[in-house]
Amino acid sequence: MAKRFLISIVGVLAVLIAFSAAWAARVGQSAPDFTATDTNGKVHKLSEYNGKFVVLEWSNRGCPYTQKHYSSGNMQRLQREWTGRGVIWLTVISSAPGKQGYVTASEENAYLKQVNAMPTAVLLDPTGALGHLYDAKTTPHIFIISPQGTLIYNGAIDNHPTIDLADVNGAQNYVSAALDEATSGKPVSTPTSRPYGCSVKYPD
Amino acid sequence: MPCVMLIFTARLNAQLPIDSHAKVELITEQNTAPPGRPLWVGVLFRLDQGWHIYWQNPGDSGEPPKVQWQLPSGFAAGTIRWPQPIRLGGGTVVDYGYEGQVLLMAPIQGTSKANAASIPSLSADVSYIVCREMCVPGKAHLTLALPVGGDGGSWRALFERTRLQLPKPVPPGWKVSAESDKVHFIVSVRASPQVQDATFFPLNPGQIEDSSTQDFASIQDGFRLTIKKSNQLIKPISTLHGLIILGPGRAYEVAVPVASR
Repeated sequence: MAKRFLISIVGVLAVLIAFSAAWAARVGQSAPDFTATDTNGKVHKLSEYNGKFVVLEWSNRGCPYTQKHYSSGNMQRLQREWTGRGVIWLTVISSAPGKQGYVTASEENAYLKQVNAMPTAVLLDPTGALGHLYDAKTTPHIFIISPQGTLIYNGAIDNHPTIDLADVNGAQNYVSAALDEATSGKPVSTPTSRPYGCSVKYPD
Repeated sequence: MPCVMLIFTARLNAQLPIDSHAKVELITEQNTAPPGRPLWVGVLFRLDQGWHIYWQNPGDSGEPPKVQWQLPSGFAAGTIRWPQPIRLGGGTVVDYGYEGQVLLMAPIQGTSKANAASIPSLSADVSYIVCREMCVPGKAHLTLALPVGGDGGSWRALFERTRLQLPKPVPPGWKVSAESDKVHFIVSVRASPQVQDATFFPLNPGQIEDSSTQDFASIQDGFRLTIKKSNQLIKPISTLHGLIILGPGRAYEVAVPVASR
């Protein structure tokens, strides 16, 4: 039974990967809908958030680039500010079991408390299905979806692609810039950038 | 000479980060620089098996090493000459970089009357990220006292070998053109003799889908590469800049205008 379940997961994954090139999230187009489960067992469906801005943040707590934004408090600051303004912030963990950054739900919940992280929810994606659907490359890698379900940003968190904590200050934060513009009805002036970080630790 | 080397080794070891998976050394090609000519220096990375560092365009993830030279006044370092990279990883995340051993070399020259041969010492701050399944940051402050005693030319062969791996201008007789459709760049090369295989390595990030297989096709008098555009690319680009690599020691730098189909 367990084996059959595993085979079906692999099958679904293979199909998703095969279509990922065609379906990959592109700015200006509809963001692909998905269903994923968070660390409290709650199921989230993107289309249920129609009418709200949604941020997807790929994360891996073992990755020095992710650490830069959590050790400095930068990521928590962004999460607090934007969820406070009604934005849905979904952190996604696509590390496969046995790979860096893979966590169980309870491990992640303990970690969120420890670092005072404030996302709306953390989605667990150990098969990498959601990661491949969006073609997430790095941790961090940020996607922003408009209330109409259109992808309006795909790229890096800011313009300082380093692991140096000191580089958080003075960086141009693309996420805040995009949300500032979009929430005041303006077009996003930097809708794409090269995401920087560690590679997402997908299953082999 | 053995005495000098010993002091060097001790000093370098003391500066190495623990568990960095990379041994990093500052080396020079010549014992002393010939008058009026640059002194070639380099940062030599020796990586643990399976670990890699990144090219100047790292591809989908990672970051190139950074070298900050500290030179006496009157001297300036030229840009790093990056040897041809390899493709790293697979699946949907592909990077460009180096495994095993790589030398990042740069020329150092006197800005006016100063002669590179008279540099008393030089140092460099090197920061890098070395990755396998995971990534580990590294930092090193490397120092070299000059002139290197005795047989200072012991690294000459390595510098010479590395030069063979530096990108070259396209061979005479090549004619490179590029066009773009909605999802691809198509690079056509008139080349003789006939080329069997080629891969494009972009110098600018975010233009091509690094993880996509590039389609190689032989055409009359040459070959054609069809390369998928990056999802990140939402505006047309005027020039495609990168390397066309045919094999070891056969990397050619191209900057070709892109025509819309």
